[in-house]
Amino acid sequence: MLSMNSTAMRFSLLLGLLALVAFISLSAGERWLNPFATNQGLDSVILWELRLPRLFTAFAVGGLLALAGAWFQVMLGNPLAEPYVLGVAGSAAVGAVVMLSLFPESPLGMSFGAFIGAGVGIAVVMAFVHLGPGRLLLAGVVLAAFWSALIALMLALLPQGQLGLALGWMLGDLSSSTIPSSMLLVFWALALGCGLLLASSLDRLLLGEKHAAALGVDVSRLRWALLLVASAATAVAVTAAGTIGFIGLVIPHAMRLMFGGMHRVMMPASAIGGGVLLVLADSGARSVIAPAELPVGVITAFIGVPVFLWLLWRRA
Amino acid sequence: MSILKVDSLSVQRGGHVLVDALDFTLQAGRICAVLGPNGAGKSSLLLAIAGLIPFQGRVELAGRSLSALGRAGLADRVAWQGDLPSVEFGLTVHQRLELAASGDTGGIASIAGEMEIGALLGRPLGELSAGERQRTELAALMLRDVPLWLMDEPTAHLDLRHQVQCIGMLRRRRQQGRSILVVLHDLAQAMAVADHVILVDGQGHAAYGDADMLDAGRLSQLYATPLCRQGSGFGPDYGEKR
Repeated sequence: MLSMNSTAMRFSLLLGLLALVAFISLSAGERWLNPFATNQGLDSVILWELRLPRLFTAFAVGGLLALAGAWFQVMLGNPLAEPYVLGVAGSAAVGAVVMLSLFPESPLGMSFGAFIGAGVGIAVVMAFVHLGPGRLLLAGVVLAAFWSALIALMLALLPQGQLGLALGWMLGDLSSSTIPSSMLLVFWALALGCGLLLASSLDRLLLGEKHAAALGVDVSRLRWALLLVASAATAVAVTAAGTIGFIGLVIPHAMRLMFGGMHRVMMPASAIGGGVLLVLADSGARSVIAPAELPVGVITAFIGVPVFLWLLWRRA
Repeated sequence: MSILKVDSLSVQRGGHVLVDALDFTLQAGRICAVLGPNGAGKSSLLLAIAGLIPFQGRVELAGRSLSALGRAGLADRVAWQGDLPSVEFGLTVHQRLELAASGDTGGIASIAGEMEIGALLGRPLGELSAGERQRTELAALMLRDVPLWLMDEPTAHLDLRHQVQCIGMLRRRRQQGRSILVVLHDLAQAMAVADHVILVDGQGHAAYGDADMLDAGRLSQLYATPLCRQGSGFGPDYGEKR
């Protein structure tokens, strides 16, 4: 049982972490800058017109991915699920690569393709919802394999010059987001609002579908609502930043360990925690081999996998 | 007043008719035990009356048709205890009870005390023994202040002391006016609490009657095994140890 006090303390810790990674994210890069002492010239432009929007983008995308992961997990009754497992990221990547090969000059085309691809992936997954969580998960795994095969086919057909661009996007790329960062923050807030609205139903669904229904939850309606909001959040995140794995898996799990499973606390914690992790990962991606950038998905995997294993280890 | 009225209820699962054309009524402060062999359809009967699986026929809860009630309306009238809930997400005993109490957490401490799980409140469900989890489920049900309780093997996993306590708890709730439909496998327990019985035979027949009508012959036939009177209940003859 967590007392109000320790929940508040842990939240303060999380917000402190957010402030720290925000500071790091503004400072780090090809040029190291002090955000408190930079207010003019080129440095000021880099800081406030490049790094700040990118900080917001990373924070919002990370939060959206974490919330979507938490929703997919509760919906499927399986804490190891995430949007990528259901093939939604794969279908988005297919859409992006198709548009890249059709309109190689247009970055907007890739984002549009990703959005349409995510929608198609979601529609296909939705056709399997009535089969129940176990088979839905299995269908997702098989669909993900199918999308990967399609991507491999198209990458083989892609001209050499576009291969790097496609691969970079598939590993996550926060540098070429075509959605303004302020709009992403609005999506983040909307998603968190949905999470808080659904919190008490989500809590009861943690017990299993029969228990939730017996406690008054309209489970099939809740499942549709969850699939809709989780997929929308995924589509927005993938459209903005390509496919970034592990955040939807690691953050909800870590936040449950820190704050417990009840969603009125766990939803805001995941929305912030996901943002913290992606901001940190992006700072690393921009700085490690500056002026070049590492794909941020590689960094999230490098951070996410050991953390996840450590969490499992500690739990056992 | 009749809390539960069932008219020509039929329940099917996987193409098999489990219960066919069952009629019965349950008054306030009465307990009806559901008896029968494994797989006969006892749990499905409870799930149907909880509105959790489809059925044919008519079920009325305090005069209102079950089919006309929404999920929230149903939850105000019926509580169900059955499968142990998922432990995947690390809920603690206290959180599990909070979910059953739907916000009104004042009663948790005393009911946890009554079920002797007071010391476990901060522990994750996944760390408990099956018996401790079962007592948690009983406490969760006790936090549901609704007219009708549907209980699927409440004494499963419990040691003898807690089985006795559970039966005592059922008797007290009956006296306070609660109506309870309860699946039991122990015939002594059934005879100790039940006013009525429903015998589900696994061939699609379900028979309703007073608990007094039970005799060794009828029960031996139901379970397809010889039973004889033992104390106030009935039990099997295990034979001699050689």
